[in-house]
Order: sequence, then C-alpha cells, then structure tokens
Amino acid sequence: MTDALRDGRAGGDPAIEAHELTRRFGSFTAVDRVSFEVERGEIFGYLGANGAGKSTTIRMLTGLLSPTSGTGRVAGHDLSRDPKAVKSAIGYMSQKFSLYLDLPVRENLAFFGGAYGLAGKALEARADEVLELCDLRGLGRSTTGDLPGGLRQRLALACAILHRPGVVFLDEPTAGVDPVARRTFWRVIRELARAGTTVFVTTHYLDEAEYCGRIGLMVDGKLVALDTPAGLKRTYVPEEVLVARGRELRRAAAALAARPGVRDVVPFGAGLHLRVEPGSLSPREAERLFAEAGATEVSVEPSEPSLEDVFLEVVGGGRA
Amino acid sequence: MASKETLHILRDPRTLYLALVMPVLMLFLFGYGVSFDLDHVPVAFADLDRSEASRALVRSVTGSRELVSAGEAHPADADQLFRRGLATALLVVPEDYGEKVARKERIRLQLLVDGSDVTVANQVLSKADALVRAETKRLSGAALAGARAPLEAKIWTRYNPAGRSALFMVPGLAAFILAITAVLLTALTVAGEWERGSMEQLFASPVGRLEIVLGKLAPYLVLGMLELLLVVAFGTAVFDVPVRGSLGLFLLVGFFFLLGMLGQGLLISVVTKNQLVATQAGALSSLLPSMLLSGMVFPIENMPWPLQLLSRVVPARYLVHALRGVLLKGNGLSVLWPDLLAVGIFAVLIVAVSTARFERRLA
Repeated sequence: MTDALRDGRAGGDPAIEAHELTRRFGSFTAVDRVSFEVERGEIFGYLGANGAGKSTTIRMLTGLLSPTSGTGRVAGHDLSRDPKAVKSAIGYMSQKFSLYLDLPVRENLAFFGGAYGLAGKALEARADEVLELCDLRGLGRSTTGDLPGGLRQRLALACAILHRPGVVFLDEPTAGVDPVARRTFWRVIRELARAGTTVFVTTHYLDEAEYCGRIGLMVDGKLVALDTPAGLKRTYVPEEVLVARGRELRRAAAALAARPGVRDVVPFGAGLHLRVEPGSLSPREAERLFAEAGATEVSVEPSEPSLEDVFLEVVGGGRA
Repeated sequence: MASKETLHILRDPRTLYLALVMPVLMLFLFGYGVSFDLDHVPVAFADLDRSEASRALVRSVTGSRELVSAGEAHPADADQLFRRGLATALLVVPEDYGEKVARKERIRLQLLVDGSDVTVANQVLSKADALVRAETKRLSGAALAGARAPLEAKIWTRYNPAGRSALFMVPGLAAFILAITAVLLTALTVAGEWERGSMEQLFASPVGRLEIVLGKLAPYLVLGMLELLLVVAFGTAVFDVPVRGSLGLFLLVGFFFLLGMLGQGLLISVVTKNQLVATQAGALSSLLPSMLLSGMVFPIENMPWPLQLLSRVVPARYLVHALRGVLLKGNGLSVLWPDLLAVGIFAVLIVAVSTARFERRLA
C-alpha cells in the first residue's frame, strides 16, 4: 500500500528536516535552534514538559507559525518559501479538538476533505475508507459533539488523513482519552506508518512513547536528547532499577541513598525506584535494609528502566 | 466576596471602560452633538417682487440662526434643490408683495419644504411660521392691531405631505438593523470559532486567507440582503413607504454597505478573538454610530462640525442618505454616486484590512 506517498518524490530524502529551527516571542525563546531529521515511515515521538516548546515546533513544521530563524523541509517543501505546498502535503491534528461539534461526522469529513481539494464521489469513497481505517464504522450520521472523547480524537485523525498525506503531525492526540481507546488509536497510527506515512507525534503518555521508532526530548526550548527508546534508556538510566513497594518506605530512603552503589532513590507512584550500579545491591539486600529502617511489608524487585525514568532524569535533573 | 469582585473589576479594563467611559461618551454625544434643535438649515428664496419690502422679508427669514440663506432660486427648481440636498425649504415671495404690503392687504406666501426628513421639516415649518408672524407684527405696527395677519405662509411639503415619520424612519431603521446584525453575526460566529479552536485546523489546510474570509462572509451577505428586502417590503406594505427610485441602485448600495459591516464584524473578531468582547465591541461600534451619527434620528446638519466630520466615516450615514434618496425622492445614480462610492470604499478597505490581520494572526 503506497497511498501515503503523495508527492511522488523519489529517493530516500528525510520526510522532515529541521535545521537550527528557532522561534522567539519577544524576549522569550520558545524553540532554540532545534535540529533533527525524521525518516519516511518513521513514528517519531516528541516529548517534553508543558511549555517546553513541542507545540511551537509542530506549528512551525506545519506552516502555521513562521520560524524566527532556521530552516525546515517537510515532505520535500521548504517551510519558509513554500508553506502552502507543505500544508497540502501534510495532515495535522491539533491539540485542541477543532472539528465542528454541531455537525454530523460525515459533514466534518466532507468539509475538511473539501479544504484539501477532495470532492464528489472521490470524497465520499475516501471518507468511507478513513472511517474504516480509524475504526469509526457506522458513525457517519452521528453528531460529532455526541461522540465520546476517544472516538472524537479518531475522527480528528480521520480528517487529517483524508487527502493521503505523506506526513502527519499529531499534537497530543490521546490527551484525556481512556486507555482502551488509546490502544486503538495507536493501532491506527502503527498501520499508517506501516503503509509508509511518517508520523510525528507529541505525547505526555510515556507508555505510548515506547511505540515510537525514535524519540526527541525537549527541555526549555532545546532538543536535549534524540534516540530510540532503548538508546535513551541506556544513555540516561544506565543503572539497574529496583522497584520497592511497601509501607513506611520513606524512612529508609535516606539510609539507602547513603549506601554505596545506590545512585538515586526516587519516589515513584506509591513506592520508590532505586537506581543502583549494576550488581551493587541485590533486591533481597535492599529489602533487608528497608526492614531495618522500620519499613514493613516490603518487596523489592528488579525492573526495566522506563521512559519515565528517562524523562525524570533528563527533565527533572535526576536528583530528587 | 465584595472585595474579590472589586479586584475582578479592577483587573478587567473592559468593565471599567463600560462603566465609566461609556456614560461620559454618551453624555457628550447626546448633549452636544445630537440634538433636535434647529441650526443653520438652508432655505432658498424666490423673490419675485424684488421690492424693499420683499427683501426685508427675506432678510428676516434667512437671517435667523436657525435658517440660513441658500441663495436665490426659481420655484420650479424646488425639486432639484431638495433632491440634491442644497436646500431644505424654498420661500416664494409673490411679485405683488411690496404693493400689497403698502396697501395693507393680505398676502399669501408660499413655503415649500422638503418633507423627507420629518424632524427638520417640522422645525423649519414652525420656525418659518414664527418668523413670518414677527414680520407681520413689524409691518402692521399699531395700525392693524387686532386685524387678521396680513401674511400667511402656505406650506407645501414635498416628498412627505403627511409628514409621516414612518417614511422618514424606515430607511434609517433599515441601515440601523443591518449594521447591528451584520456586525454582531460575524463577531459572534467568527470569534466563537476562534475560541473553539477550529480556526487552527482551517489554517493548517491549504485554503487561502481570502478564501476563508469571503467564504465566511458570503452566507451572511445573502442573509443581510434578505433582511434589507424584508425591511423595505414591510415598510412598503404596512407603512406605505414609497419606492420612487431604482430598486437596483438601492440594493447595490445596500450590498456594499453590508459587505462593509460584515468586514467590520470580522475585523473585530480577528482582533479580539473572544466572543464576549467581540459582541460588546461589535454592538458598540455599530449601534452608536448608526443610531446617533447616521442621520437616522438626529439630523446631521444640526450637529457641531466635529461630529459632522465624524459622521463622514460612518457608513450608515451614506446608506441612510441613499435609501431616503431612492425611496422617497426617486434619486438616481447621478445624485447618489458619492454615497455608493463611500460605502464601496469602506467595504473594500475593511475587507482588505481584516484579511491582512487574519494572516498575521498565527504567523
């Protein structure tokens, strides 16, 4: 299925190129010399704290905002010189739901399809196709406003891919959506990528970020990390991670942190994450230490570092 | 509770503006500008006698503060004078005036008044009446004390013989209604869409700015034209407002006026991006000027010149003038082309500005 590559551009050019992309608002630098490349068919994740500059970056890449400096190429078109061509070649799903709530699903599809030049029978056929693709069968006549959050987001995605764009930009597409709906959403994303569409997605849900081919991490406008999920974990959480659960764990935190080989003790949910140098502390030993310090019902298990650990390390500075 | 509310008010300049600036503005406008008082109404005269007596009469009539001379004219020119707005009344002094005064006989004067602006017309009539009585007294002196007045002004009102205010109000109302609904409608819908966020999705598509602007305005344009027709139809059917001129010209001026008002509403929503503020700003910027400065209720000629100048940039003024001209006087393009030009320029300008502002919004 090669319906994704609309431009007909040959060769292995990256789908998205950003070079020293910068955006200032007055004295505030929202995006600071960000450079990266995204290959065709990749699912590229973009993470960062609120206000780190993710949405601003996307807005520049989709032609909605002009960069203060720097250049970018999306789907083979230069951002500054040819924003209209960029817009025709990409799909965009904004962070805020921006379809018309009072219209039925079909009419929203018709409207946005029309905005991209689709019409008549072709539009109808394609509308059917995307409804099928996004698992929205049979909802054509439903009023958009009546749909639950997860379905609405899928509809927004459907509208974004009507014109078979080669690159889609999704800005926090699953915000506020329940876990089951999120799974379905990502299934659709993965199918799109398999068909050759490049997907650039920002998200706060780090479990979803695991689905991405590569992840970029933004902190205060700068791109501080760019790698595969595994690579990021290797770089930023090289230690072993032990997950401690139980009662009164905090009492022991100081004692454990002082123990040689223990890099860090980080609160994590109801328990603690212990970052230890590989081999320096076994789970059983840790349990004993906890018990000695007065904690009860303790269980310590080894765990894989998660992207959350990476995130906390990079964004939060790592030291609790 | 009260102190929190006070903090809210202080923090929101708009509330303060509404509460403090608006009343002052309105007091100023109503007190100085808009008035029902007569001032400098142009009266032409046809002195067919040219005697000392007749000249004295003309001087006394046109020498008052309220009525000023608009020069000499021929009675047959009355129509032209009124249509072009060069004079609001024409005083015809018969050729035997001087003789009759000397003989102390009764004289009939003729005062032709342009009745399309009822407020002014009524005032001209009463003022002229008073002046004629004064002149009578002067002439008669003590000799004819108690006798019937030798001067009688026969009043003949053109265009609105019955002096019915409906004929006068309907064109003004049409402009007023159109102005408000056009500005409010666009302000509400476009600003609302901005608030909801669907504008961003549109901007991300390859649809051009001008396309979006025109596409948004078009249905309201149609709606507004229907409104205009409705008002006139109603006026004609129920209030017997005549349609003496070309309906086509009327619709053309109305079309450009509408376009301008819609553009104004669009500009407001582009600038404010907030439904609440857009409606307030829209209502104020269309309601006040259309009602107070357009000649709809208060005659423009009676306003102090700063406000007269201000009224020149109020599109409603031109629509009211054109509508009255077409409906009541049967004026054509030759007389009304300045009005058409004015609303046309306003429309083009404001659509251009709002389209340009549209572009700058996100980039």
